[in-house]
Amino acid sequence: MEKNQSKGEAIVVTSGKGGVGKTTTVANLSTSLAEMGYKVAVMDLDIGLKKLDLILGLENRVIYDIVQVIEGECTLKQALVKDKRFPGLSMLPAAQTRNKDDITPEQVQQVCESLKEEFDYVFLDCPAGIEQGFKNAIAAADKAIVVTNPEISAVRDADRIIGMLESAQYNDINLLVNRVQNDMVKSGNMMSIEDLTEHLCINLLGIVPEDKNVLISTNKGEPIILNQRSQAAQAFNNIAHRISGEDVPFLQLEDVSFWSKLRGLGRSFLPTR
Amino acid sequence: MANIKIKGINNNLVLIFEEGRGEEYLQALRDKFSANPQLFQGSPVIFKGKGLNSLSFEDISQLQQLCLEYGMILNNIELNINRSYSKDLFIHRNVRSGQKIHSEGSVIIWGDVHESSEIISGADIIVLGKLEGIAHAGFYGNTRSIVFALNLCPGQIRIANTLSSASAEQDKKAKDPVPEFAYLEDNSIYIKAYNAKENLDRNQNLNWQ
Repeated sequence: MEKNQSKGEAIVVTSGKGGVGKTTTVANLSTSLAEMGYKVAVMDLDIGLKKLDLILGLENRVIYDIVQVIEGECTLKQALVKDKRFPGLSMLPAAQTRNKDDITPEQVQQVCESLKEEFDYVFLDCPAGIEQGFKNAIAAADKAIVVTNPEISAVRDADRIIGMLESAQYNDINLLVNRVQNDMVKSGNMMSIEDLTEHLCINLLGIVPEDKNVLISTNKGEPIILNQRSQAAQAFNNIAHRISGEDVPFLQLEDVSFWSKLRGLGRSFLPTR
Repeated sequence: MANIKIKGINNNLVLIFEEGRGEEYLQALRDKFSANPQLFQGSPVIFKGKGLNSLSFEDISQLQQLCLEYGMILNNIELNINRSYSKDLFIHRNVRSGQKIHSEGSVIIWGDVHESSEIISGADIIVLGKLEGIAHAGFYGNTRSIVFALNLCPGQIRIANTLSSASAEQDKKAKDPVPEFAYLEDNSIYIKAYNAKENLDRNQNLNWQ
């Protein structure tokens, strides 16, 4: 799909399985791209189970939601919540008191099209599952990011989702592997990235290591990318740069032990793979 | 409109399918049966005619189902169907979890078949990649069908009416997989390494013996 100069790009972030880090990914990639100077909009499509406002720390500023926009109770502009920390970032909140059947794929498409007029990137935060909410979310996007964890249940669901995206005529599907624990991969207790990409056969967009800081910043409502020392933050920043078209090498994941951290310091001066 | 003739020959009702398509036949038969249900109740029926050649197995099974609904007895031992065209299906991608492929002919897949997917074929299944899903060859009862894969580690193989599921000790991560095929013999499914010198065509093998 060619990127139109005047129009933004809509990216759906999906996974099938819940709890793999879709919303965290959306929050961090969008803030990272906003910090780089792009205009970014995020749409929370997990209607009835909204989380994105919490993770972005915008829950107190939500007034209207996407269902009200669709039903004509307010304008799109009124519903968009601007993030004061990142001037380029706006969020369209989900409705907590409604459910996924209250909107249709065509309506999401309409909202998304008008957001694309104004923003460089539009992220769609897809709910878990393959039902109506999933269909709403994938109707509007130009490309997809499939988030998975290195565990067999998440990989099976990712496989199913990729199949459904392919049937929906997506040809730009990218894989993001979240919560990778390198020491466990090395000891053979976790699937390696090679196993995963060989099985799923799609473009690998990025690898995000397991990082306790993610939970801490999620609870605070601040995106992790603000934390310079976090490895996950670095990984998300790299992925954001890749989305914007830069060629960034993959992060060398290091063990978490003290000695390996010391060794890592030395290694960071060497060129990365 | 579908053209079906009904004749009584040797205590059988013979349905002769002349010209038409699946749904048309179905509608025509339903009209005839419902007009006079007592007449058809309990009679043995035989399907015949050129029209059958253009029907899919699905269509025929629907027609048979309809006859059964009206209390008829299916008296065809074998349907003589001459297919003039191939219904083989070629797939040039990976088959992913949750996807289902169905073909009346053979299915040939240039790619992997992931676990929890289903391939159903009226004839052979040939996977030029890794087969991890469920493979059902000879779906319409052809016991000479085979399942072939470059890396054969399926969750389940069915050939005709026989089923075989993966054994627990089966090593899914064989380092150097060899092409293998599964076939049916004495109501059991066997797996054998593929050897080009042996003839894969089970039909011919049987003819020689």
